[in-house]
Amino acid sequence: MTMTIRALLATSALGLLLSAPARAEDVVIGLATAQTGALAFADQPSLAGFRMAMDEINAKGGLGGKYKVTLDVKDTRSDTGATVQAAQELVAEGVKVLITPCDADPSIAAGQISQTAQIPTLTFCGTTPTITDAVGDYMFGTYPADNGQATLLAEYAAQQGYKTAYILKSPDTAYTLRLPEYFADVFQKKGGTIAGEGTFAMGQQDFGAEVTKIAAMNPQPDVIMTAAYEPDFPAFLKALRGAGVKAPILGSDGIDSPTTTGLGAIANGIVHTTAGFPADGTPLGDFYAKYEKATGAKPETVYVATGYEIPYILDAAVTAAGTMDGPALRDALANLENVPVLTGKVTYKGTNRMPIRDITLVKIEDGARSPVETATPDAALVPAP
Amino acid sequence: MDVFLQQCLNAISLGGIYALLALGLAVVFSIVSLINFAHGELMTLAGYAIYAALLFAMPLPVALGAGVIAAALAAMAIERVAFRPMRRADATSLLITSFAVSVILRVLFQNGISARPKPVALPPELSGVVTFGPVHLSVIALASIAITILSLAALSLFLTRTTMGRAMRAAAEDFQVLRLMGIRANRVIAVAFAISGALAGVSAALWIAQRGSVDPLMGFVPVLKAFIAAVIGGLGSLPGAVAGGFALGIAEVLFQAFLPPEALPFRDAFVLSLVVAVLIWRPDGLIPAKTGRRS
Repeated sequence: MTMTIRALLATSALGLLLSAPARAEDVVIGLATAQTGALAFADQPSLAGFRMAMDEINAKGGLGGKYKVTLDVKDTRSDTGATVQAAQELVAEGVKVLITPCDADPSIAAGQISQTAQIPTLTFCGTTPTITDAVGDYMFGTYPADNGQATLLAEYAAQQGYKTAYILKSPDTAYTLRLPEYFADVFQKKGGTIAGEGTFAMGQQDFGAEVTKIAAMNPQPDVIMTAAYEPDFPAFLKALRGAGVKAPILGSDGIDSPTTTGLGAIANGIVHTTAGFPADGTPLGDFYAKYEKATGAKPETVYVATGYEIPYILDAAVTAAGTMDGPALRDALANLENVPVLTGKVTYKGTNRMPIRDITLVKIEDGARSPVETATPDAALVPAP
Repeated sequence: MDVFLQQCLNAISLGGIYALLALGLAVVFSIVSLINFAHGELMTLAGYAIYAALLFAMPLPVALGAGVIAAALAAMAIERVAFRPMRRADATSLLITSFAVSVILRVLFQNGISARPKPVALPPELSGVVTFGPVHLSVIALASIAITILSLAALSLFLTRTTMGRAMRAAAEDFQVLRLMGIRANRVIAVAFAISGALAGVSAALWIAQRGSVDPLMGFVPVLKAFIAAVIGGLGSLPGAVAGGFALGIAEVLFQAFLPPEALPFRDAFVLSLVVAVLIWRPDGLIPAKTGRRS
């Protein structure tokens, strides 16, 4: 009995979808993102920002001033198979844009489906620069790519006069493996040498053996660089300082979280990349204040802001294209230049659809971050993905 | 030589944590033949309790105590709600129940607290270094070793000197006979869960001291390590769990320390191959449980 009712409901819902002549200005954006599981730490805040911006844009008349957007949010449970299934459902439903999780694997898998259906697809904060080419011309990154972050870090290391570097990487993800390798690439181009490399398994948080090897290095490296993040980064840092190693540390945007500043004195001097720093009076600072007013708490991470930027990037593209049809929207996105967003300007023109955008370096001192510099990485130095 | 000595200390420090973790699983398994995969979530819960206590500006020892007590109470609650109704079910159903509890708790943490890690800031004294001649040991590693020894000593005193402890050991050997002696089964099982929870709380404190944060999925890796250690040691055997924990910790550190760099990404494969070898050599584990009961 229940089955019959369900089947009836399903068919009538389907019927409605097929028969209702959707008003031209009503569109659906599908989000196949991880609201539970291992990627939720990044996708949940990204979605919060995304929703907020979408509400603002809808209140002003919609994308490009005429497309009112409803969101269809499907939880992928951080599972690549479930992401594909969600993407298939959303594509079948006729979404105009697809948003994928903050990670390369599920984004590439979901992108394969939307690519065939000619639906522009953006990853929340997937940073692997190969995401876009692995999928095709409908796939766009939105967040500072790994090779860009690494370039800025290597340039900073060279400016500081560091001659030798030790890199710690993990083959478990593209991010933790390739970012340090890109760094090594640029650091060597700038005249530095890689004095040593270490490997770790993510999530195991035992660094005793690895730091003992670093402590035994003679001479000690001038700087240590890693793209490890929680829980590995704090465990590494504690073990490293526990073994008496004093070399300064460079990290990536993965450690842009309150845990890092909560580590106390041992975190002093860490310099890491992030999408932006919310200084007072900057657009990002204003956004943090606005977000706090709306939700009662400051964003815990910059992912809220980068999620918030995506509807505005889309808005710029829809305005330029005048339509939300796949091919036209793809071309408009690919030709965007200097779109002002919270953390600077975003440019897709002339890229492989991983945006050129500002990256900020911040330094941790006494439990607080302060900006070191904000720059767009030098395109001539950025390693090929 | 110094490096070797240092690596041995690293191995003991890690092995101690694994021993505590494995012991937590073994205490329950020895009595009800259940591998409680929600053990990791008990650690996470203890972590959130420590986080909350520190948030209310309680001193660190109180916060750590709160973590241990919270995990012990939660373990008893889980036993009462999820496992007691399943008392006559077979081992597979129990195993699946424990997975269900684990998933439910994880989703509750993720959607009820936060999907993002919560920082647990420990006092700066804990990030210090102690130097013994040529070797350095961080205060955290030293504390891990000390707390492991203390916990093992306390547990062994409890098991050998108290009536309830003796009852638990008897239950591990033959539960039916124990019941015939007039010992209340439910109470023995509840105490076993409470001890297991308390061990989860202690391991959580050590685990969090290393990572500086608690997040909803924190328990996954430790419970996996505990499971491997308990299996190598001999499922259901308490001395076995301790031996298995140390064996696993020592193997991990020594492979990490002395494998050539090209082979390092495969460290876990080497460790697990060793585990397989141990099990071929001793199918019931290093120190098998007296009943020889297997899941």
